[in-house]
Amino acid sequence: MEVLGQVWDFFATSMMRGGMYSLMAVGLALVFGVMNIANFAHGEFYMLGAFFGYFILSATSKLGLPAFLPPIICIAGAGLCVALVAGIIERTSFRALRKRSKGQWLMNTFLLTLGISIILQNGSRIVWGGRYRGVTRMWKGDFLNSLLDYSLPPDRLIAFLIAVLSIGGFVLFLNKTTTGRAIRAVSQDEVGASLVGINLGFIHTLVFSLSGLLAGIAGASLLSVTPASSFMGTMPLYKSWFVLILVGMGSIGGSIVGGLILGFLETFATTYLSVYLGSGSSEFVCLAVIITILLIKPNGIFGKSVKSAVE
Amino acid sequence: MSSHAMESNDLTKATDPPANPPSIRPPVRGAAGDPALDSYSKAIGTLGFSPIGLLATLMGLVFLLTMVKDESWVRILTSAIMYGALAMAFDFTSGYIGIVNFGFAAFMGLGAYVTGCLSFHLGWSPWAGLVPATLAAAILGLLLGLMTIRLGGIFAACMTWFVAMAMLSVSSNWVTMTRGATGLSFPLLLKSADNFPYLVIMVALALFSYVALSLLVRTKAGLAFQAIGQDQEAAAISGIDSNYYKVLNFTISCAFAGFIGWFYAHYVGVLTPPVLHTKATVEIMVISYIGGRGSLWGGLLAALIIVPSMEYVKSIQALSDIMELRLLLYGLLMILVMIYYPGGLSELLKTIFNKLGLHKWISAAK
Repeated sequence: MEVLGQVWDFFATSMMRGGMYSLMAVGLALVFGVMNIANFAHGEFYMLGAFFGYFILSATSKLGLPAFLPPIICIAGAGLCVALVAGIIERTSFRALRKRSKGQWLMNTFLLTLGISIILQNGSRIVWGGRYRGVTRMWKGDFLNSLLDYSLPPDRLIAFLIAVLSIGGFVLFLNKTTTGRAIRAVSQDEVGASLVGINLGFIHTLVFSLSGLLAGIAGASLLSVTPASSFMGTMPLYKSWFVLILVGMGSIGGSIVGGLILGFLETFATTYLSVYLGSGSSEFVCLAVIITILLIKPNGIFGKSVKSAVE
Repeated sequence: MSSHAMESNDLTKATDPPANPPSIRPPVRGAAGDPALDSYSKAIGTLGFSPIGLLATLMGLVFLLTMVKDESWVRILTSAIMYGALAMAFDFTSGYIGIVNFGFAAFMGLGAYVTGCLSFHLGWSPWAGLVPATLAAAILGLLLGLMTIRLGGIFAACMTWFVAMAMLSVSSNWVTMTRGATGLSFPLLLKSADNFPYLVIMVALALFSYVALSLLVRTKAGLAFQAIGQDQEAAAISGIDSNYYKVLNFTISCAFAGFIGWFYAHYVGVLTPPVLHTKATVEIMVISYIGGRGSLWGGLLAALIIVPSMEYVKSIQALSDIMELRLLLYGLLMILVMIYYPGGLSELLKTIFNKLGLHKWISAAK
């Protein structure tokens, strides 16, 4: 039973981490694939999601609703708020840059998002202060523990389920709806898409908001694992870029698999290798893996060419 | 460079009228074609300075070495020039071959930690650490360049970032070597507690960096850097081995980062892991981009303006609690420059001087 518990623990932690990395990486890949923006403010959407989630959760839990409702409202509300913020950012900055930019669009967006990230980090710090805001448990009730006969915190498992549901819903949206098809069309050919009457400005804002939505959901649903603070976004940003480089830029299907790979890799390194390598082991292992992969396949595991984005 | 004016006289005039109309004007002193000025500017140009740049540098030097007496101002200016030198080394990569070294602070930190560890564990004198610090950063830059630079663009930026994050993790976890977050403390460069000698040393280092980098830009390799930065495929067609030159450029830039890191280590005397953090890289990047891409001196000028004004913001009583405001201003400046004036400060000055018909004064002749 002991060994089984360890194996189960290993898998559960890997899946939870991997699911969240996928959720973050998918939004990043979407923005990269459709808008050709290297978004380094993606981690700040995660951070905003955690903050909004915390405030919504603390407001709704006082209302006396049934126990399962506040977390749902919290995660959905946080996602929507972050999507709104992302939409405003797209309208005010990227639109202006798009009008003026002559060359080097990708590098300019990289620097622009860095500026946005600095503003969001320090602005949130000014507004909300340096205190960590987290909850010990998001989902009340022990139904899962009795079900699985193992004392795993339900928050992690539910976080994984939320990641699966969000990504599933997102992929369905992209493949089955007219708007989703329009997004894919823009990612393939902007000029062609605008010729058949797709409103490019709307699609750009929508895509940026969607990536914000996914990151916000990730931030809010992990509130009990990583408490909200202004500078928390660097790690998720780092991980999601890692996934993108690992699997090849802009591939959505690849990002989902890549997130899970990274989750397993990290959990493996921290569980089994930290004895030999010290507490920074997961970083070394990840770096070694990515350098090896880039030496063998410079475009990433699934990478074909960069411009075949949202397929 | 200096051929700019000649080209615009005959070839590009029809397509590009507002840029430089010098041939219409009578040959005034300081304008193109003045033989006296030409010979002077050639002499200065061998050192990598433009006439106006040399004048500004000399005036700046006189001001720094005679007028600045206040201890706190000495420290502020020292750190401003240090940031400027780092921004120049950063610009050498980002402005010329178009690759963003997003782990730049880690290379500086590596240089700092190498000399720090040598003097802490082995008792080396601070001066002896100069060569190992520069070499360590250069070797890491060479290895990383060989592995990742051929990927180009955002891949290279991310890979340098990943390596920097791994180095941050090493510096905080390898406690026996770096003493982690407790901080590694070791002797300062000089025995005296006076701040002024450090300013003099930093000015000398910055001048050396500028002259070395701008002379490098003027060599054949420098031409190759610019060609690669403008259009890599066209450069490859003209027979430039772009991987070789990119790795060369990256290694040199990293070596300078380590070099400045050596000074930083023995100027502050204490090292903690946040020196290597992405935030430090971002600060250098912002200064370099506000200064203007591909100008080298732009970063130094921007640092001399931005760092003291940030200190001023910090000193305002009502705002002194809000450290984050400083960084917020950095971010805002960055966004505004990126959207509305991507050429930065150097481009602005060049435009102003061109409007005044003084374009010969701001370009270093060959």
